[in-house]
Amino acid sequence: MAMSINKRLSWRQSVEKVMSRLVQKSPSLCTDLPLDNSDICTKLYLLRQLLKSCFGPTGRLKQVHNNIGGHVITTSSSSVLLPAISSSQSFINLIKTSILNHVSRFSDCGLFAAILCLSLIEQAKQSGLSFSVAIKLNKHLLGLCTGYLQQEDCGCKVKLDFCSSHNLITLARSIISSKPACVLTESEALHISKLAVHAFLLTVPCNRPGEVRLGKAVTVSVEGHPVLNSAVFPGLLVDAPDVSGIDESENMRSNPLRVVLFSASLAGDLSELGDGIFDVHPGVDTDLQILDRLLELVKQVVEDEVKLFVCQKVIHPVVQQHLKSRGVIVIERLGNPLMETLTQLTGAQPVATLHTTIPAKAYGEVRDLSIIHFGSRTMLQLHPPGESSICTMILCHRNETMLGELKVAFQKTEHVLRLTLREPSALLGGGCTETHLAAYVRHKSIQEVPETLSALGCSQAELLLGAGGFCRSLESVAAALEHDGGNSLMDLTHAHHWTHPADVMREHLDESLGFCGCGLMEGSPEQRRAYLNTNYPQFSPAPLSRDTAVQPRVLDSFAAKFNALQVAVETANLALDVRYLVQDIN
Amino acid sequence: MAAIVSCCPATSKYSACAVFHRSCRQLASGNRKLYCKTLLNKAPRAMLACTIVNHRQHVGLQKLSALAGITHSSLGPNKMYKFIRDETSGESALACSCFRLLENLELTCGVGQLVYETVRAHQKVYGAGSGCLLFLAGAWSRAATECLQKGVPVARIISAMSEGMDVCLDVCRKCSVSTESLGAAPAESCAATSQGLGLNLLKKNTAEASQASCHLRGTRQAADKTLNASGRRKIKLSRHFYETEAEDASTATQPPRRKAPDVALVAAGLSHGYVGAMNLVIEASRLQSKNNPQDVSGSTFDVSKVATCVLPGLPEENSCVLQGCVVHVSDEQASVAHHLKEQHLKVALINGDLSDTYRHLGFKRLQAVQCVSDRVHFLSSSKAEEWTEKVLTLLLNLEVNLVVVSGIASEKVIQRCCRLHILVVEKANVSVLKALADATGAVPVTYATQLSNRCVGAGVKVAIWGDLAGRQTKPSTAVSVSTGERDGLVTAVLASCVPSKLQALEDQFWACAYRLHHALTDAVLLPGAGVTEMLCVHHLRERAERRHDAGRSGGGVQQTKAGRAANPYRGLVMNLMAEGLVDYISTVMVNAGGVSKVRARTAVSQRLKNHAENQAKFSQLSFAGEQEDGSLRCSDAPAAQVYDGMSVKQEAWRRALDLVLLVLQTDAEIITGVGPNHDAAEGDMMLL
Repeated sequence: MAMSINKRLSWRQSVEKVMSRLVQKSPSLCTDLPLDNSDICTKLYLLRQLLKSCFGPTGRLKQVHNNIGGHVITTSSSSVLLPAISSSQSFINLIKTSILNHVSRFSDCGLFAAILCLSLIEQAKQSGLSFSVAIKLNKHLLGLCTGYLQQEDCGCKVKLDFCSSHNLITLARSIISSKPACVLTESEALHISKLAVHAFLLTVPCNRPGEVRLGKAVTVSVEGHPVLNSAVFPGLLVDAPDVSGIDESENMRSNPLRVVLFSASLAGDLSELGDGIFDVHPGVDTDLQILDRLLELVKQVVEDEVKLFVCQKVIHPVVQQHLKSRGVIVIERLGNPLMETLTQLTGAQPVATLHTTIPAKAYGEVRDLSIIHFGSRTMLQLHPPGESSICTMILCHRNETMLGELKVAFQKTEHVLRLTLREPSALLGGGCTETHLAAYVRHKSIQEVPETLSALGCSQAELLLGAGGFCRSLESVAAALEHDGGNSLMDLTHAHHWTHPADVMREHLDESLGFCGCGLMEGSPEQRRAYLNTNYPQFSPAPLSRDTAVQPRVLDSFAAKFNALQVAVETANLALDVRYLVQDIN
Repeated sequence: MAAIVSCCPATSKYSACAVFHRSCRQLASGNRKLYCKTLLNKAPRAMLACTIVNHRQHVGLQKLSALAGITHSSLGPNKMYKFIRDETSGESALACSCFRLLENLELTCGVGQLVYETVRAHQKVYGAGSGCLLFLAGAWSRAATECLQKGVPVARIISAMSEGMDVCLDVCRKCSVSTESLGAAPAESCAATSQGLGLNLLKKNTAEASQASCHLRGTRQAADKTLNASGRRKIKLSRHFYETEAEDASTATQPPRRKAPDVALVAAGLSHGYVGAMNLVIEASRLQSKNNPQDVSGSTFDVSKVATCVLPGLPEENSCVLQGCVVHVSDEQASVAHHLKEQHLKVALINGDLSDTYRHLGFKRLQAVQCVSDRVHFLSSSKAEEWTEKVLTLLLNLEVNLVVVSGIASEKVIQRCCRLHILVVEKANVSVLKALADATGAVPVTYATQLSNRCVGAGVKVAIWGDLAGRQTKPSTAVSVSTGERDGLVTAVLASCVPSKLQALEDQFWACAYRLHHALTDAVLLPGAGVTEMLCVHHLRERAERRHDAGRSGGGVQQTKAGRAANPYRGLVMNLMAEGLVDYISTVMVNAGGVSKVRARTAVSQRLKNHAENQAKFSQLSFAGEQEDGSLRCSDAPAAQVYDGMSVKQEAWRRALDLVLLVLQTDAEIITGVGPNHDAAEGDMMLL
């Protein structure tokens, strides 16, 4: 290129930095025993109340916005809520970060982990145990829980059967209906759950030998259409606002179609050079020179019989015109999120520079494409040359707020369904797992007194105190599902979770006690029940005799909850272990 | 740092009045302060009158209700203008619709944002109905507040309100009238009936049943031919046939081929008081269907090919509808247009600006470029010159006479083009470009240098507006660009002597255009003037009466715990929802003129009572004003039957309820970016 571009470092800034007045550093702030600090305790309590009120299908929503009146998000899901909360107390941020890390890996059960963790901290404080003993006991009790959950005959685990989609749909629906900000009716929630399972199944390749790689479900959201219009399409849908030039019949002829994929900007600018001052010879038109280079590139692409030209960023209009006049379909501004999926679908390698010829192996292929009109949007549907493991989900909702939450819920569901491939089981939902585990832990910790005491090096009273706190924390998570003043109970045989609505009159009581939280048990008058967090007698929770006719109605992800349980206990232990907080306040 | 403001059940002891002031302060906390001075002592009164001082208040719902209160006067056929004054800058704006009002307020609170977002989304698609949306959101948020105060759990309110919405939407489906059947029913009899009933309504209506039967007779001949929708309506409204027959009728009478509806009649029913604007819309639709050979019947109305052009300074009678696209041009350009008129022109379409410095969207300019040279150059000025020369040569070579630009064109290029008798038209809509491209075969390009023979279209005509209007006073400044028969483009020229009124006129035109567009697309209408709402009220109340029989069937056994057993509060919630609709009808009546709120309410409840007793058909409420002496004013022209758009209304209701349910379920606001030294003036703000 016939121009010289010098990037000159501006050194003025660094001079200013040296010249600026020196301010004496203030000493660091040290907080001794953060859990005894009343400010931290109030904030922990506040955080717990906040998260507790969001929990479950009847949870309350939160409006999140900034202090200058920015965009408002209405949500109750931890993955949106927690990033918005940032505290002046690093102690709070520690817990938050830990939970967020869990959410980023497992998507589900973020609120469960957070509430359990905060309850454990509070219970440990209330019990009066020394924190080191509390930590040891929590570890031991967690071991009991995880051991039990991994047992074959665990009373709160359900094996997932991939021969039938029933349990998968139940799992999907439990997650979607736990997001009240989606404002879905019963049938809408079911529709979305079915679509989620459908999309999940489409991403699993069937007959590919060797290593199996899962595909991807891409979501496209369309505002203003009824939820029931949402649909799943195999292949990838990309926005193509101008399809007037695409002659379908012509493109069908040469199958498969060759594809080139650019990740570099083809806008014809020099944006990739970065900031700085450029020295240019007069009489040199940089724009024209870059355009010439682009046209040269395009010439090669056309010669190589490429039929679909995709760019992540902007394409210069002259280049577009040139390509279209030669019958090439042009898609610009694809965006970063779709790049990986498209690479996977076409097998193309993204071209990141304009300055070399494109190697033949960088080209990819699509089998065929079709035009899809959805509402006001026009999209191109791309099919991969081989077996398809990529699908596109079009999500519709009446307004932006609810659509945003629906998108979050759908992505979570999709992730959770994928997790079932690793661990094909689910846990009973609706609080039943929590109460069941609590009863189990209470029972076990009393039974195993002699051995554990010597191993843990604590007294029996301490163990009972610790176990009590642990169980109350689990039960309080189950109780957090109720938001309208109802009472939470558990039955004294199978330890499932039951709720009495606050407003039901006495005579309707047995009727309202129809089913337990997960829907496996039906209420009967002779059943004995105890209010949660009261001193009920310990018992060994019996697993239900498996009657295949009765299916659970609410299921939670096993992998997510299993990990959430560990994260909650370990984070609580870490928080209990903190002796000093040192803060640099400069 | 984040702050959390709790919204629900706030333990504060503010009275309702204080809460209103608080939310006003919230509204005013942006740059632009809102003062809502009532010029007529009307609507806001009602808002302050919610008299509950209770510990179970929900601040979010009260904010919603307060916001809705601002727009009470923008309901119904006679809308009140509102001034919005910015105290800091002294600027003011005139708002005549709910949407414009919200647009001019800077709402910083969470609920305000949510409301604006919802209304904007609705306005974008439907162009009308925002006032209805916001009013019902307010009315139903009051209903929800009352439920909370009576101790109804949130889950119960949600399930009962959703069920209530289903009832209302069902009523809409069942009482809809197909557009094609409108022409079949003799319009005069409709008009006479409604007029008569209107009069009766405000006296103590007695002869209603006979009037209704007269109406029924009128439509019966039509019903003989095909069992049309208005015929269906008569059957349905009888409670005995309601559930079963109506279902059959609606499925059985789907006509094999859609007859063409009478656009003028449909439009007249949808004018909602803007007869002038609607006449323009009718004319636009007529022009459009005349140009479209496939659609002689005029069964659709393509809003995307309609444009508006405002003309300040001329009296309103000059408003008219023209074929093609009308744009303002300078005198110099007008003379070129004069030269070019009556010719078939070659056209180039530029999607962007016509200037040498323009670059396409997404192009990043270099920030700092220095010229390094061993000689002194004076090239920078000639660069633009060079470009202009190039473009002009190209245009001359291609024999282009008309350049339509979607952005702006540089002054210099326009002048040079004028000298060469090339007309440059700026600021054309993208949809106009597309229509021209389709009709002429031209291809829109981003840069003028891209132009080639392939991109140039032919067969466009220009005309000067003054000529079209038959006025030869002074050199006119508007020209119309049209391809005659092919493009289907029409422009409504809206004139007014009062420049600040132009926005309102434009809004009215678009509201009417969208209403007609959606009605023709839906192919059904709802009986207007409160009839649909009254039917909904009736059915809601009827459903509320029914005991727990239907409760259990709703939604299987699963769902939430609340859905499982019969909802003991369903009756209460549905009655309150119905109350919201009654409030809506009576507010529209109050705004329509003369009648006091109390009288309007009495009339509505009287009507509902009559209906319940003898199953008489609801007739449209009269919105005719009352003279001072107590007698009713009769307009000379018989009032036409009023209709409402079906999808607009359903969507507005649904969005209103969605808004209420979202706010109802929200119990806290999380405000991010609040510093520790933020004034903790808000009593219930907690810092995290």
